[in-house]
Amino acid sequence: MRLRVDGNLCSGQGRCYLRAPELLESDDEGFVTIRGGSIEVPPELRDAADRAVNACPEDAISLTDD
Amino acid sequence: MSDSKPIDRAEGVCPIIDIDYRIDRPAFETYASLNELREQAPVLYNRTPFNGYWMVTRYDLVKEALQRPDVFNNKLVSALGDPSQHLYLIPQNLDGKAHVAVRHVVNPWFSPLSVKRIEPLARERAIAMIEELAPKGSCNMTNEFAMLYATEMFLAMLGLPVEDGAMMLPLVEEIFHGFFGGDPEDQAKAADEIKQYFDAVIDDRLATPGDLGTDFVTFLLNSNMDDEPFSRENILTLCMTIMLAGLDTTRSALGFIFLHLATHEDDRLTLIDHPERIPDAVEEFVRLYALVIQDGRYVAQDVDFHGCPMRKGDVMWLGLAQANRDPRKFDRPDEFVLDRDSNKHMGFGIGQHRCLGAHLARTELIIVLEEWLARIPEFRLDTTDPLTERGGQLMLKSVPLAWSV
Repeated sequence: MRLRVDGNLCSGQGRCYLRAPELLESDDEGFVTIRGGSIEVPPELRDAADRAVNACPEDAISLTDD
Repeated sequence: MSDSKPIDRAEGVCPIIDIDYRIDRPAFETYASLNELREQAPVLYNRTPFNGYWMVTRYDLVKEALQRPDVFNNKLVSALGDPSQHLYLIPQNLDGKAHVAVRHVVNPWFSPLSVKRIEPLARERAIAMIEELAPKGSCNMTNEFAMLYATEMFLAMLGLPVEDGAMMLPLVEEIFHGFFGGDPEDQAKAADEIKQYFDAVIDDRLATPGDLGTDFVTFLLNSNMDDEPFSRENILTLCMTIMLAGLDTTRSALGFIFLHLATHEDDRLTLIDHPERIPDAVEEFVRLYALVIQDGRYVAQDVDFHGCPMRKGDVMWLGLAQANRDPRKFDRPDEFVLDRDSNKHMGFGIGQHRCLGAHLARTELIIVLEEWLARIPEFRLDTTDPLTERGGQLMLKSVPLAWSV
């Protein structure tokens, strides 16, 4: 599973890393560090990834099976 | 066609209404009225004030519009202000690259990491203020605690003396009054006075620079925007804007949150028993009680938006409060629900102009709730008179609370 953050849609709301601190963190400006990129999600952190997806009002975050 | 009035183009296309959202109403009536309009239609035309505006009411459409700055620009940020008496704001009124450049400079100052810097002070001040109030057995949340706290935290965040708050608040009130129906000349005068204050701060910091990491004006004087130093005028406008954005909203949020807790014992008891849920509660409060009920925009290019013929220069109301209570998006939208699986609210706006101070606001609200509920867990609303909310940008005028001592 990969968690992706669309660099054009992410506006630095910060709700993904607040809801899923075990998976995501903020950069110096308040954007999630993987803005415009992706990370591999270990199976045990699947819930955290879902929380991040469900917290983003920009719909900038997506979780895919690849 | 492009010269025609928007109201004429709206005729027969969408409902036309005539409701003034700048005026005071009994508490919660604004939300009720806005909910009703959202269920009436996804887009309406409101003829008040001035030439009126297209009102977008439903979550998906509000989101679509806020994420299309090429179609809806920020030359105007409230559908309720007088377009001919426009008070210029930075970064709100910037678009495109200029906006990105300013945000790039100021975002780090308001990032979660920076907010952490003032967290010990925010907690210390919250505790001191609450402990001073506790033996009194009553307080007016909006006018006493919330106003003072929000002002102190704003000043602390910028590295300015907290004592200056008393002088600033009436000026901020006057500017907001001007946004929503007050005299534009009084507004301009108040804005000038705030700029004079910051003008003196700039002179002082040019003579004696402060700490680059804690003094905002010194930081701006040493920052570049697109390789050019910030002009004095831009620094003044930016400081005034941040003050306007930061003071009123946090104070208003505390008013709605404490009214809710005073009148919903079950929610209050949950947060007393589970303080670890307070961050989620704050997010849900921001959804339920959106104070900035709308983001205004200008139509930047002719567009047919969901069947409505919008033309360049038309005014838009993008209904944040309506989106946050849209039953198409949220179950039980008018209730406080702590356990939402998904809470994609727009309380801090969305798109590239999302609230710069969101991280600071969250931290302040969380700290106040934690420290208040630990010290004054039982409290009630101390009046039977109906409460009033200010129009424009919502704020309860008074929230009297009482508790046993």
